[in-house]
Amino acid sequence: MLAIYKKELRAYFTSMIGYVFIALFLAIIGIHFYMYNLLNRVANFEYTVAQVSFIFVLLVPLLTMRLMAEENKQKTDQLLFTSPVTAKDIIMGKYFAVFTILCIVIAVISSYPLIMTLYGDVPFATSYASLIGFVLLGGAYIAMGLYLSSLTDSQVVAAVITFIVFFATLFMEGIARSLSTNSRTAFIFFIVLIAAICLILWTMMRNLPVCIGTGIIGAGILTAIYLLKPTMLDGSIVRVFNWLSVTVRFNNFYMGIFDLADIIYYLSITFVFLFLSIQVIKKKRWS
Amino acid sequence: MVEVKNLVKRYGNHIAVDNLSFTVDKGQILGFLGPNGAGKSTTMNIITGYISASEGTVTVNGIDVFEEPEEVKKMIGYLPELPPLYPELTVLEYLQFVADIKKVKRSERKKMVEEIMDTTKITDMKDRLIKHLSKGYKQRVGLAQAIMGYPELIILDEPTVGLDPKQIIEIRELIRELSKNHTVILSSHIMQEVNAVCDSILIIDKGKFVLQDKPENLSMHFGSTGGLKLVVRGDKEIVINELNKIDKITKIDESEALEEGTTRLTLYCDENEDIREDVFYSMSGIKTPILEMQSIRMSLEDIFLKVTQGNDSYLEGEEKDPDGDYIEDDKVEYDEIDAGNDRDESTEELRAEEEGSTDAGDL
Repeated sequence: MLAIYKKELRAYFTSMIGYVFIALFLAIIGIHFYMYNLLNRVANFEYTVAQVSFIFVLLVPLLTMRLMAEENKQKTDQLLFTSPVTAKDIIMGKYFAVFTILCIVIAVISSYPLIMTLYGDVPFATSYASLIGFVLLGGAYIAMGLYLSSLTDSQVVAAVITFIVFFATLFMEGIARSLSTNSRTAFIFFIVLIAAICLILWTMMRNLPVCIGTGIIGAGILTAIYLLKPTMLDGSIVRVFNWLSVTVRFNNFYMGIFDLADIIYYLSITFVFLFLSIQVIKKKRWS
Repeated sequence: MVEVKNLVKRYGNHIAVDNLSFTVDKGQILGFLGPNGAGKSTTMNIITGYISASEGTVTVNGIDVFEEPEEVKKMIGYLPELPPLYPELTVLEYLQFVADIKKVKRSERKKMVEEIMDTTKITDMKDRLIKHLSKGYKQRVGLAQAIMGYPELIILDEPTVGLDPKQIIEIRELIRELSKNHTVILSSHIMQEVNAVCDSILIIDKGKFVLQDKPENLSMHFGSTGGLKLVVRGDKEIVINELNKIDKITKIDESEALEEGTTRLTLYCDENEDIREDVFYSMSGIKTPILEMQSIRMSLEDIFLKVTQGNDSYLEGEEKDPDGDYIEDDKVEYDEIDAGNDRDESTEELRAEEEGSTDAGDL
């Protein structure tokens, strides 16, 4: 794992990407820090952090697009997968390399609240709690980017898809707010969702019984809930969308709520996508 | 050392490897021959654990590739068709990385990297970025990568592609050198290469096993045929009429003459017959001077084409070496490589001709 980690980290700094990422990140945060905190004389660093959380959407694809897509394209995956390293080592090495770059940025940023102590009292707790949330959010985005990169052998495709997915997570919250909460809409929504899942299953497996089976079982359970206990479906769409929205939970951090559930949420998103990336590698062997 | 049993690889309805079985003994060099798409690379990818098989087993030193891939990967060095290089690293950085993931001991790493750069002759290039290297050097870096850690089994997919003749000879020497302590499997399109380097040749076609034997035994599998290629100045019909009088000639094929007023023929006879003098006297008798005369013998190419093309078999001319042996002498071998390149073209030419001729299959 260490070998891959070192190689990836070196790759970011022999090409320009690493420097560009750090420079852009610091520039955007610096501007916001100056505008919100210094110019307006507000001591709450968490406002700045909350304002700039969109920057992951713009910058993380830059880092993650090449991770696996480049290996697939250059056929260097043949070297990795025929060497005595496991799929887990490869993915974790790459993940931590990107994460290290994020940490470099965070290390610089974490000095900003200290700068503000020159001018008065700073609420350190909320400032640093928001930074921890920030790192967790970034980590989750990186894992998603890594997964999406492993699906393709083109960096451009990886970047575009990652960007679209990240963008969608930003808007989930807004969409969720505007959605109807009654059980009938929820029923229709979930039926469409099940149909979509069946379609995806069909394109992936070409196995009719499995698809139809999944569809029937899913629709059956859903109908049963709808008929027997429709209250369960009330507001469920909103819940689903909020759950999909990575940024909703970040709001808690910035409001100063340091909830274990949120930390576990981010860690589990990271874990799920790293797990999926490992599975993609393993599956490639068996296709 | 390597045992492949009933290997099958399916991609949807397409069968890339079809019930392939073979073994490679320790210290042997196995040459893997087959036309494009025969399943050579697929088989190699399966042995190295890069992809899985649909059915069958592969064991290396008695360890199953599918059950304990990590263990097997420790024993294998692999050079795929495209050398797996990171263009943004320098040669030295790349080889250090390879040594690292191949779990070479830290204490031996520096020495081994230097040693391998030396044997593959890339020491001069060690501080260059890989993306700036020529194809030949990239191939050598790929080879260096494959032998890193000195694994017991080295698998090379077309190791000499893109190299110049001098480098080809060097790489062959290197492979022969390696085979003293390692088992080597290599695939190639170039027959001389396989003939010169390998202890055993395995021919596959459309994923199926065709035959495995020592190079020198291969021609025994097919009734070999001798003959002459002839260019004569004179009228075609007169020449053929005259040649028909020689009983030893079993068959005469016409080819298109390249020069005006000449006749280009291929004569076949049994292998142990020598018809050169008969042809000479016969032609001088009717005052049609012989411009070119060339002996044919069954070469590895012919065997290869014969077994991989089914009924479309044909023969093809090849210059006979004076001593009949081009393996030992590098200089002669050098010429052979050039001849080999020419031959590829003439092969295409001949194929086109032979397809028009209906009795080509009767050879």
